[in-house]
Amino acid sequence: MGANIYRNKKPAFVFLVPAFLFMVVFLYYPFVKNIFNSFMEIKRLGSAGTGFHTPWYSNYVEMFHDQNVWTAVRNTIVMMIVTLVGQVGIAIVLALMVDNIGRGKQFFRTVFFFPIVISATALGLMFNLIFLYDKGMINQILEALGKQNLTDWKAEGIALVTMMLPVMWQYVGFYFVILVTGLNNISDELYEAARIDGATRLQIVRYISVPLLHNVICTCSVLAVTGALKVFDLPWVMFPKGMPLKTTFLTGTYMYYQTMETKNVDYGAALAVLIVVLGVILSKVVNWIFREKDY
Amino acid sequence: MKKRWIAAMLTGAMVLSVTACGGSDSAGGGEAPAAAQNDAGSSDAAEAPSEAAGPVELVVTTTFAGEDGNAQNYKDAVAAWEAETGNAIVDTSATADETFKTRVITDFETGSEPDVLFFFNGADSNSFIEAGKVVSIDEIRTEFPEYASNMNDDLIADSLVDGKKYAVPVSGYWEAMFVNTEVLDAAGVSVPGADYTMDQFKEDCAKIKEAGYTPIAAALGNIPHYWWEFAIFNNQSPETHLEVPADISDENGKAWVAGMNDIKELYELGCFPENTLSATDDETFAMFTDGKAAFLIDGSWKVGGIVSACQSDPEDPSTLDAEKLAHFDVTYVPGKGSRKATDLVGGLSSGYFITRQAWEDPEKKAAAVNFVEYMTSDDVVSVFAQHTASALKDAPEVDEAQFNALQVKAMDMMSGVTSLTGAVQDLFMGDCRVSTFDGMPEIVTGRVSAQDAVAEGLEMYQNQ
Repeated sequence: MGANIYRNKKPAFVFLVPAFLFMVVFLYYPFVKNIFNSFMEIKRLGSAGTGFHTPWYSNYVEMFHDQNVWTAVRNTIVMMIVTLVGQVGIAIVLALMVDNIGRGKQFFRTVFFFPIVISATALGLMFNLIFLYDKGMINQILEALGKQNLTDWKAEGIALVTMMLPVMWQYVGFYFVILVTGLNNISDELYEAARIDGATRLQIVRYISVPLLHNVICTCSVLAVTGALKVFDLPWVMFPKGMPLKTTFLTGTYMYYQTMETKNVDYGAALAVLIVVLGVILSKVVNWIFREKDY
Repeated sequence: MKKRWIAAMLTGAMVLSVTACGGSDSAGGGEAPAAAQNDAGSSDAAEAPSEAAGPVELVVTTTFAGEDGNAQNYKDAVAAWEAETGNAIVDTSATADETFKTRVITDFETGSEPDVLFFFNGADSNSFIEAGKVVSIDEIRTEFPEYASNMNDDLIADSLVDGKKYAVPVSGYWEAMFVNTEVLDAAGVSVPGADYTMDQFKEDCAKIKEAGYTPIAAALGNIPHYWWEFAIFNNQSPETHLEVPADISDENGKAWVAGMNDIKELYELGCFPENTLSATDDETFAMFTDGKAAFLIDGSWKVGGIVSACQSDPEDPSTLDAEKLAHFDVTYVPGKGSRKATDLVGGLSSGYFITRQAWEDPEKKAAAVNFVEYMTSDDVVSVFAQHTASALKDAPEVDEAQFNALQVKAMDMMSGVTSLTGAVQDLFMGDCRVSTFDGMPEIVTGRVSAQDAVAEGLEMYQNQ
């Protein structure tokens, strides 16, 4: 009897039911309802649909003809690449450098991690001031250095860079901390053996640190790419309504714009479905590319 | 066996705690059947209105917040009413923008509307009037005959839904052109007068630009609303301005297209800030108050914003820099064709609504009526109206000594107005606006033609 208690899984199921119900009510039901809504004609936020579109899939057809959707998808993919290279890439370099210093590791961990704890909205407002056209920090510095004309950092050609820099900067510390922890897990004996064999610091990084960090880098990459799909607040604060000329929309900001600003609720629901589909596909691809290795 | 008992007990405790949570709700709502009965029997309650027994808490939402010139007046009036009646106001006021409108309309849709709201009486209020969620003034007067009796009923706007009057107005609004006289002096341009034309305006803009300043403070990528309204108005007359065109081929449709092209022309002439497509309204307003831009078309509420910008502490009127404020004036919007410069956009576009929910709550009914009566009394309205119009039958004499220099200039300007016409954008609501409001950058840069943008919006409007 005493041993059987461990084979009986029923109590575990009982305890899982509340969480399951919570997920059903607050995630899966709204999700299914959202798919349904994307086929309906909804005039206002909070109101029920007045009937199906004719044809019922017209929102999805419109999506293919909507230039802003393509802009948003393209920008989101660019954002993924930027987060991958900018966030994880820079975090790897920083982690390897910090791992090679004797003292001050904890200091750099705190300094690099700090942006994570600041709200993205506050960061957006701060970067708005930094990139402000008139009296902004960067333009004032450039002016002091002798530049005659003000630069519009939110102008069409450069807006995407201005938007992605703060997003990239915000999360570098997050991946840095994960990678430093990964580096700490590598046995000192390996480094010691390499040094006895006459390996240089660069060779130690190339042949010991990076290979043994592979799985951690994979995890960071998957987190970065899937995280890029969900970026919303900072870009929206800095570039509301896809300003300028609707060139800075991401999939999330465009869905919000359609739902909350133009009150095109059913189209917003269809865009939400697109985001989920994109998320699932890209997550699968990224998981496949960055699949972990057994050592 | 013992462990199974423990598991069963834990499960039982969890179920009980969940039930208890639900129980507390139902306990809280234990009086719900009675309340429901009251609701159902609202006609009974309506027959015998009575003062609430104890202090009442009213949820009120208004647009008296942020830079609105009456934000502080509203706070003072609410505090005075609370002190007088012992009731309390839960204030959920916010700046009057699209987000605020969406929030209010969604609150009605989801049944979480406030008890009293100060809101727009145009097409913005159509949805909750259609749903019967607010009470008409006539219905309130059946029980409270003195309700809004100090107002001239002819000046209270009719609902676009059923022609009934719902909102008791406080003060009107106007839209006109603010000028920074420091910039005009530097450019050798005089303050525009009552006979100012668009051609003169363009000449002045060229001089201002030559002097190294930005002629017009406007963020076309963010808030093109004021230029949109007047550019269209300039191709119409006060008689035709409130007619939404059927399509771009009729006279009004052509006027709308011409209006959009007028803005495009000003953009091409370089009259707007260099970053007009990427700037926010706050940024271009700061350009104006910092003496970098000459003209700003905006509403009467901006008087408060400019005054605040001239105070070292925006919350403290005693810190006003009178010398800086003296550099600002307000005048007429350059005219064209059948529209004279002195034909402005304005009216009584907002008012206090009482919701059906508050009206049918016996505890809140009298308090809600009393609150609106207080906020629309002669004394309070005269404080709020200042340099704008009101619907009062007997408006008290205004003591100009209590006003700052810009308010006095605004009153002078208003004395020369030849007509006040409502804003057609208040009738042209929803996603039909998107192609010409959010699409303004595409229009002025020529990526979308004015014809296509206007046609798209009108088609959506006709399909609504």
